[in-house]
Amino acid sequence: MTEAKKLDKEQVKQAVKRRKQVTYAPVQPEEQLGFVHNNVDCIGCRACEIACKDKNGLAAGPRFRRVQYIEGGTYPEVYAYKVNMSCNHCAEPACLPTCPTGAIWKRADNGVVDIDSTLCIGCRRCEAACPFGAPQFDPSDGLVKKCNMCIDELEAGRKPYCVMACMMRVLDIGPIDEIRSGEYDTKAIGPGEETTRRVKGLANPDLTNPSIAFIPHSKGKVD
Amino acid sequence: MKNIAKTFALIIAVLCTPFVQAADTGKFGNLDYERARWHPIHFQPAINEATNEDCLTCHQDILQRKVKEQSPAGVKASESLAWYQTLGVYEGEQETFHARHLTTPIAKDLMNLQCNFCHQGNDPREEAPNNLDTNASGFTLRKMVDPEETCLRCHGRHNSEIMGIPGSWPDTKAMFGNSCTMACHVAIRTNRHQVSYLNADAIEKAAAEDPDTCYGCHGGRQWYRITYPYPRHTWPGDSGVVPAWAKDRPTESEERFRLK
Repeated sequence: MTEAKKLDKEQVKQAVKRRKQVTYAPVQPEEQLGFVHNNVDCIGCRACEIACKDKNGLAAGPRFRRVQYIEGGTYPEVYAYKVNMSCNHCAEPACLPTCPTGAIWKRADNGVVDIDSTLCIGCRRCEAACPFGAPQFDPSDGLVKKCNMCIDELEAGRKPYCVMACMMRVLDIGPIDEIRSGEYDTKAIGPGEETTRRVKGLANPDLTNPSIAFIPHSKGKVD
Repeated sequence: MKNIAKTFALIIAVLCTPFVQAADTGKFGNLDYERARWHPIHFQPAINEATNEDCLTCHQDILQRKVKEQSPAGVKASESLAWYQTLGVYEGEQETFHARHLTTPIAKDLMNLQCNFCHQGNDPREEAPNNLDTNASGFTLRKMVDPEETCLRCHGRHNSEIMGIPGSWPDTKAMFGNSCTMACHVAIRTNRHQVSYLNADAIEKAAAEDPDTCYGCHGGRQWYRITYPYPRHTWPGDSGVVPAWAKDRPTESEERFRLK
């Protein structure tokens, strides 16, 4: 059995050597969908988180969507706002090239970074590589899982569960280019508001070019 | 028979309960989960002095956990390679992320990674870094490390543009005799890897044998689309002229990584 294992690996390496060594070339989708979140108007009810857990059958641990409370200041200048993220379906996802089994891939039609957890061996490299904490390890079965933007809902012409559950309409999806340029018609962006790629505390978006835009709180703006 | 097994399991569970509630954590004493969570070792500045042994006293599970032999759909770990694992210097079976960085032979040979290289502490009260905290919090809105200051050092893009080579390293390496150290770096940027988290001599030795060692950490294992702005130490024969791309780069490694 041990010999067979070595032989298999050697065959893979020989096959690889015959081809030119290249790095991962990111998929260029026809259209890149992305999220927009209004940090100011979000009330932090976490309905989006619960809807996500309901849709994906998640127990208490793994959180595909995470509403993060940012609070600070000293009286009288105190502040509180929320930053809400799931998978950001990056233009150049870091999780994808780390996966040894091809369980993660990027869709060419809408840019969704999808995962088939039945191919996962639980090495957790993707979890470490993602700058935004999207891949979630599920201790109940030792597999990594993550948001796929409710791809089944998208294919049925509907929006993801998190977006549909947002009572304040501060979370939405759409073509990320239109969201960033302000052309996209959404309740998440109020009159006169402009989106940003980065808010305080967020990992550098240049790492992977995440498909998310924020309406930042005044205390969350990056200078 | 089933009842006997149940009774036996119950006795074992009762006997083990005290160990679950308050584990003997060696020099840290008997701490329950909440007390351990608030131990100063998890905060600055004490975390800077924490050794791997200290951390692994409680967190040994990170090295004990193994990858599955096969995925639920039947993909075998022994037959799988990630994109960058096709590098010549990749060896051994699939391992978990932490084992790959801490305990595999190549990790122990070329690196000297400590837990606190990545984990710089965080405040359990805060789900996100405090905006007003002027100290380097070392964590981001995602988890307890900042990938830009840790992972990016060895998982950034190969910066072929600034090197003046005509294309990416895989495309041009034949032109340079498939050697970084013989082609250019025998004279340029010779003051390399003099930091506490790397084994400089071992890296030089391994690079002389296989240039994939260099490329592995300088683009071959790329996770991110940018490169790490390494400190620009001077080297013998350095003209002293700082090119535009290196204008704001430090000339020394960070204090905490300097060799004493």
